[in-house]
Amino acid sequence: MPQTTIYVSPRSLGAPDSRPPAVVTTDLSRLFAGSPALVGVSLRIDAGRTVALLGANGAGKTTLLRILATAIRPSYGRAAVDGLDVDREADLVRGRVAYLSHATGLYDDLTARENLRFAASMLGTPDASQRVERALSDVGLSARASDRVGDFSAGMRKRVALGRILLGNASLVLLDEPYAALDADGLGLVDQLLGAWREVGVTVLVASHALERLEPFLDGRVVLERGIVAGVEGRGVTRLPPTVPVGSAPSREAAS
Amino acid sequence: MSALRAEARVALAIARKDALAELRGRHATVSTLFFAAVVLLLFGFALGPDAARLAAAAPGLLWLAVMFAGILAVNRLHLLETDDGALEQLALYPVARRAIYAGKALAGFGAMLLLGLLVLGAVGVLFAVDIAAAWPPLLATVILGALGVAAVGTFYAGVTVRLRAREVMLPLLMLPVLAPLLLGAVKATSAALAGDPFGELAAWLQLMVAFDVVMIVAGLATYGFLLDD
Repeated sequence: MPQTTIYVSPRSLGAPDSRPPAVVTTDLSRLFAGSPALVGVSLRIDAGRTVALLGANGAGKTTLLRILATAIRPSYGRAAVDGLDVDREADLVRGRVAYLSHATGLYDDLTARENLRFAASMLGTPDASQRVERALSDVGLSARASDRVGDFSAGMRKRVALGRILLGNASLVLLDEPYAALDADGLGLVDQLLGAWREVGVTVLVASHALERLEPFLDGRVVLERGIVAGVEGRGVTRLPPTVPVGSAPSREAAS
Repeated sequence: MSALRAEARVALAIARKDALAELRGRHATVSTLFFAAVVLLLFGFALGPDAARLAAAAPGLLWLAVMFAGILAVNRLHLLETDDGALEQLALYPVARRAIYAGKALAGFGAMLLLGLLVLGAVGVLFAVDIAAAWPPLLATVILGALGVAAVGTFYAGVTVRLRAREVMLPLLMLPVLAPLLLGAVKATSAALAGDPFGELAAWLQLMVAFDVVMIVAGLATYGFLLDD
């Protein structure tokens, strides 16, 4: 079972309002095979805020998260994390972002502990052995730490993936449907994590359909509809004016 | 210097992870060794029972078996990264791209070296070739050959890992590029087994060293682009 206090990196401690914006996007657009998945998204998300990305399937939530995680590049426009351009300064952005996607990114033939130790090596986590054991304990998997991840259920795999996030010192956490596939304990674990990140001032951007569950942790909400920002509400998130007229989006080269 | 040390640490972590996954799953070991054995036996049957003929063909058969089976090995090492989005996760870690290439190539080198030594031993037994008498140059040839196949294979496995037809595309891309290495390895092995009567061994080994250096540098410089969107 998870411990009562989950360990998250203290890197982001500080008054949220005294830091530069965690995320700024300007006319952000992404095409897949010529079809727009994200169109002209211009947003500012303040540091230390927890913001929900809402919208129907295909609204562009995952695309926005993947661009901010540097998994895919924008087709047009810009996005910056902590003032760093996700396209041109991707290497630096990766050190500041943790991303929980639909896929867990785990190796089936390795145990939960081995997967997290590998992640700790890649993240340069100090005191890796202790941090891995602590993360396994925090996500409630200490008893199964030596079992192959390939034998785990989807919910247990997600717990390991959440444990991997705890090994880093991200200032921006991106969560794509974090409650999916989890049992009651797992749902509580995500709630605990959201509370812990909020407490230490980590910015969280979460795409989810479980709005009622998320509500107590949220500062703001962004509603996407077919790739376009349909609404913004709450604290810590601002819709920015577009810098180019619709229909004349600049190329990536021109934007840079 | 500390950046280089950090990259070396990342490369070792990736190689260790690949080795651990392979030891646990044994996906590549069984298929690769079985395939190499089948290649050697089939060529042996095709050439007939003439011992002199088999011994003369041994260097070529050795390296054909190593390269064909090596393609399976490097392909499998990259298939590990298709587990539930592992390749994307690997690309999202805040590490230098060349360190990822180095790690995958190091794991490939380990697999190829083991394969090369086992196939060399099998060739010695099956084709009655005295490998013990020429072990230092043969070992150098196997090391350089393994390094070259791993360097090329890691890059092209990265090219094809997202393709549906990767099993077909990987040998089509790799084998033409490996031709100079194959030539050098076969000639160096022949010279080593014959006691280097014409003093050509060093030249063939130098060709293999040059090939390895070029391919490793090219892989380090370009592999990162394969991980990008």
